[in-house]
Amino acid sequence: MSFSTSDLVRLAETLWEIPAGARADMRVPARVFADRELLEAILGDRSLEQLQNVATLPGIVDYALAMPDIHQGYGFPVGGVAATELPNGIVSPGGVGYDINCGVRLLVLPLGADDMGDRIEPLVHELSRAIPAGMGKGGPLELDETGLDDVLRLGSSALVGRGIGTAEDVERTESSGCLTGADPTTVSERARLRGRGQLGTLGSGNHFVELQRVSRVDDQATAEAFGLAAGRLTVLIHSGSRGLGHQVCTDYVRAMDAALAGYGIHLPDRQLACAPASSPEGKAYLAAMACAANFAFANRHAIAHAVREAVARVLGRDVARSTRQVYDVAHNVAKVERYGGRDLCVHRKGATRAFPAGSVDVPEAYRAVGQPVFVPGSMGTSSYVLAGEPGSLELSFGTTCHGAGRALSRTGARKRISGADLRRQLEAQGIVVRCPSNRGLAEEAPFAYKDVERVVDVVAQAGLARKVAQLRPLGVVKG
Amino acid sequence: MAHRFLEHTGETELELEGSSEAALFAEALVALHELIGGEEAGEPEQRRLELVATDRALLLADWLGELALLAELEQFVAERVVTLTLDGLRLGATVEGRRGKPPHLVKAVTLNGLDVRQEGDTWFGHVVLDV
Repeated sequence: MSFSTSDLVRLAETLWEIPAGARADMRVPARVFADRELLEAILGDRSLEQLQNVATLPGIVDYALAMPDIHQGYGFPVGGVAATELPNGIVSPGGVGYDINCGVRLLVLPLGADDMGDRIEPLVHELSRAIPAGMGKGGPLELDETGLDDVLRLGSSALVGRGIGTAEDVERTESSGCLTGADPTTVSERARLRGRGQLGTLGSGNHFVELQRVSRVDDQATAEAFGLAAGRLTVLIHSGSRGLGHQVCTDYVRAMDAALAGYGIHLPDRQLACAPASSPEGKAYLAAMACAANFAFANRHAIAHAVREAVARVLGRDVARSTRQVYDVAHNVAKVERYGGRDLCVHRKGATRAFPAGSVDVPEAYRAVGQPVFVPGSMGTSSYVLAGEPGSLELSFGTTCHGAGRALSRTGARKRISGADLRRQLEAQGIVVRCPSNRGLAEEAPFAYKDVERVVDVVAQAGLARKVAQLRPLGVVKG
Repeated sequence: MAHRFLEHTGETELELEGSSEAALFAEALVALHELIGGEEAGEPEQRRLELVATDRALLLADWLGELALLAELEQFVAERVVTLTLDGLRLGATVEGRRGKPPHLVKAVTLNGLDVRQEGDTWFGHVVLDV
């Protein structure tokens, strides 16, 4: 079904609703955070139809939500949020996605971009050498069975004992880099096989490591709390749980697809396969998902270590030692959280938790200002640092956007520019590019994404998060 | 036999057509090679795949999933079907290809709109790949 703006009710300047009565199988309304221009872009694909499908899930409460960076995915739209009431509301592996705990981590260096002289290109080059990208295998940390079990159970902290990263890095990670309830016995042998050689690897698609400078500070006090200042160098890491997470999702989508009839669940899209969170399938998935999420936290932790090693080689050991982690946030995950006296399973598929000041789940160092949120741009455009606001708890199950959001298909992007031409364009803007594939580079061209500034303005206007700082790219290593 | 990639904002959506069910599956391999192939080298190698599924659409998903996994785990990119037999919901195939440096592009084969159907003498397939 295609939509027009007249199918949506405008609830506020940046909030739109498709009423629950729009389709017989919807249990709750579907809501979208967007301004009129973003909404027009959103109407260009099937993301709102997918959001309506999410609104049919058993146990869903209040509304199915879309962030302003929503675009068409598979099953759930990317940028979708759904909360189901426990114990019997469903959990859906497709509502988390294949790249479980795909997320971003921001590091800040004790140097300004102006101090770099001619060392930007050597640093980007060294980052590209230090972090395996593209192919499936080749990670720097080949794990034995025990080591892999430790990572699946403990996440980032499993690596600190091996001299990788610091306790402060772990503390400055969502959920302290470890989801509870992880049970490695729920992870298949195939998933383990896919993950074993991939810890510390970037992967491909939209994954990247980007060297940036803080180009603008919007909230001085919060920026200071996050250790950010105008001109400072930052490194943003975007990766996830690699093949291990992909396989966990594949395994449990299949298991739940097979079990649907037994639970009397009828779905408009097979990819929404789900089971009651309290069922054997639901419990097993949540335990396996936690393992994959922990693998992803550890993966970004290991990549951050490789970044520091690269920094040490180009800028010296002291600079590397003083390179601090601002925070690490998950984009694809389901978590049990409490809202309005209800225990809910909050699915975030391409969306970021954004808890406000005062939340006990925010590290103590940031509790007075709110949880850091990082919104990556698209190579040639800015990324943003935000902080969670109270509106997120009232309106979006503690959630905000996760990126610019695609506006153009990968094929469409390739038709408009070649990888070689894009590389030249970015380099003409002073952005150093390292990418093993021209095709992959073209697919991630900046024009394939929505206007990230507009996306960020919407979540700020809606009261979900506030702007803290803008980051401009200096160099990018693409997966 | 034919395949085409449809416009999809986030993922890769594939339509397949074949003169038989086996031809449809062979075409799926050609489409996947178009996505991840191109930098293979060395002598051709063969792999044997045996799959069983609970319905035809899942068999197509499994077939593509196994081929993508060979690329991820062994850097083996299948270039052509040597033999392929279908017996109900059971598939046996020998594929030929070469090792290379395939991008880890295909994360998974989704069930979103997954379909295999016969209309007259023609078989059609539809699949969305998470990339």
